[in-house]
Amino acid sequence: MTDVLFPILSRERPEAEGVVATWFVTDGQVVTAGQLLAEIQVDKASQEVPAPVDGVVHILAREGEVVPQGSAIARIG
Amino acid sequence: MTITEVRSERLTTSRAMVQAIDLAMERDERVIYLGEDVGMYGGIFSSTTGLLDKYGPSRVLDTPISESAFIGLAIGAATEGMRPIAELMFSDFMGVCLDQIYNHMAKIGFESGGNVKVPMVLTMAVGGGYSDGAQHSQCLWGTFAHLPGMKVVVPSNPYDAKGLMTAAIRDDNPVVYMFHKGVMGLPWMAKNPRSVADVPAEAYEVPIGKANLAREGTDVTVVTISLSVHHCLDVAEALAPQGISVEVIDLRSLVPLDRHAILQSVAKTRRLVVVDEDYQSFGMSGEVAATITDADPSLLTAPVVRVGNPDVPVPYAHALEYAILPRPDRIEAAIRMVVGA
Amino acid sequence: MSTTTSPPVASTSTLPAELRVSLYETMVLSRTFEEAILREYHADKGPGFDIGKGLIPGEMHLSAGQEPVAAGVCAHLTTADAVTATHRPHHFAIAHGVDLRRMTAEIFGRVDGLGKGRGGHMHLFDPDTHFSCSGIIAEGYPPALGMAFAFQRQGSNSIAVAVTGEGAANQGAFHESLNLAALWKLPVVFVVEDNDWGISVPRRASTSVGNNADRAVANGMPGVRVEDNDVEAVWEAARTAVQRARAGEGPSLIEVHTLRMWGHFEGDAQGYRPELAEVAAHDPIPAYASKLIAAGNLDAAAVERIRASASERVEDAVAFAKASPVPDPATAHDYVFNERSTR
Repeated sequence: MTDVLFPILSRERPEAEGVVATWFVTDGQVVTAGQLLAEIQVDKASQEVPAPVDGVVHILAREGEVVPQGSAIARIG
Repeated sequence: MTITEVRSERLTTSRAMVQAIDLAMERDERVIYLGEDVGMYGGIFSSTTGLLDKYGPSRVLDTPISESAFIGLAIGAATEGMRPIAELMFSDFMGVCLDQIYNHMAKIGFESGGNVKVPMVLTMAVGGGYSDGAQHSQCLWGTFAHLPGMKVVVPSNPYDAKGLMTAAIRDDNPVVYMFHKGVMGLPWMAKNPRSVADVPAEAYEVPIGKANLAREGTDVTVVTISLSVHHCLDVAEALAPQGISVEVIDLRSLVPLDRHAILQSVAKTRRLVVVDEDYQSFGMSGEVAATITDADPSLLTAPVVRVGNPDVPVPYAHALEYAILPRPDRIEAAIRMVVGA
Repeated sequence: MSTTTSPPVASTSTLPAELRVSLYETMVLSRTFEEAILREYHADKGPGFDIGKGLIPGEMHLSAGQEPVAAGVCAHLTTADAVTATHRPHHFAIAHGVDLRRMTAEIFGRVDGLGKGRGGHMHLFDPDTHFSCSGIIAEGYPPALGMAFAFQRQGSNSIAVAVTGEGAANQGAFHESLNLAALWKLPVVFVVEDNDWGISVPRRASTSVGNNADRAVANGMPGVRVEDNDVEAVWEAARTAVQRARAGEGPSLIEVHTLRMWGHFEGDAQGYRPELAEVAAHDPIPAYASKLIAAGNLDAAAVERIRASASERVEDAVAFAKASPVPDPATAHDYVFNERSTR
């Protein structure tokens, strides 16, 4: 199993939290490495999250749920 | 035998719009995109994300704050064989450049008896709901639709956003393409889940001038456009188990207007609600109502109910803004009133 | 690029005889045309003056006195260059080579007109010569930028000439256009016809600066002012500007102090114009004829021949227009949108 981590967007505030703004895949979907999984947002910055590996994605964080930077938002196995 | 894989992917409305532009730019070097902050910034509502990286500054051009000059530039270039897309950052800014739009872009084809064409797209962000105030929250499609000589398309979802953009670029007439900020699926604005959907990977057109029957129903026809489509579908879903069957028509285009679709639906349901986030008087909702009364008022068994922004500038305070927007509560109340439930 | 306004440009060296005669012929053709339109326009407006009546209804803005600007500039152009003109377009259309018959038919609102009767005298579009004009003050400048932009992209040598009056230099689109053309180094020549009058308002009552050539410099390009409505001085200023544009060095502006001999529009009594009685004495065309005769480039017989030839062309165009059918009312909705080309 490989963790998909919420990117660190704010280095000045490592404790900053953000949200998964949009999931582009659904729980249980087969994904390929590099495929766009989600778009996340911290303060005014947003970033794309690509799949690090091939596999089946298991979603951990819901859209709009507040999560700390660096936490696992999904797993691929 | 080769089986062609039809790929699709889940995209936000903004990514779908960008994909259509990308495919068109790849195919035809005459297509360029110009406007304010469309380069490195990617458009302030993500209308051009990634295009500068791919096509460079000679095809994705940041302009000065000179709408008359750069929209006029797009017009002149279009008359000389290019196929430019010019972005007016907010429809609210039409005031500073309206002459180039309605007296030039929209009239050159006509005044020249068809001898000169203006194959350009004029994109613009529209709509409110995030407290941007009276000068940055308007829709104004009624105003653009009112002025002859330009087509007007208003996609509500990713599939239509891509298909209408492709059709708009390929059209030899000027097309105004209005994208509601609330349907773009932006990470920094509250969004309806319908802003993200599956979209075919290849280039395809959604025909300009054809409405979409977004939901079939029998008790009332709700004709609407843009973000309001999402609200109407949400309300229709909630009312279905309560025995009210709502038919929702997403107009998708205002010019040309699919009057046939409106008539056909009302002939079936005999009741009409129009939901329109533009100012109510002298605009789209009146035009939809007149479509019925021009043809056959006896189709209606109840007065048309219009749910729109009242003739009031959009207020800044959240509670005030949400009191004037055509939100689900007002849409539901209108449906209940017209069906007598 | 200069940082101060260039001194007023006057004609210094002698142009070749053939060129001089050609410039004279262009001006005579243009004036002859305007005189014919004047005649036709007023022929059937009475009793009194009903603007909507007659074979040429509507507004009419004639260019008598301003021929030197058109002739001097357009001598450097081919029909592959674009010209965007104003509500007073005929002299530029003629100097640029727009088809005289189809232009006249359009002014008469006939089916064989450039716009099939849809545009009229202020909205003449001729794609064969890249000529267009607009009735909205200053708004012909922005599309000229786009034509120049497209020519640049297409790798052609063509340029765009954009024409306004001095009143337009106080409109937003004028300044936006100068800035953007300079910023993007577009091959444009901006022409300002300063005929002293914005309808009834003299320049000193509308314009905060002494001349608009200074505004060009303020917007990042060279600007020159030709003071004396002299076709050869215009020609020389235009040569520099056109060469600069074709060489990829960017836009420039030429302001010409010219003369509006007649009213702003036909029917304009010009009660506001104190110098009206002296206007005819400053007619540039007889003055140029005198100059050429004195230099031996023309004689009285040649002047008469040129005049007769112009008259013949113009009357042919008027006859063509009158013979062309009036558009069928059933076609009034046509051309709002135009067919897609198949691709």
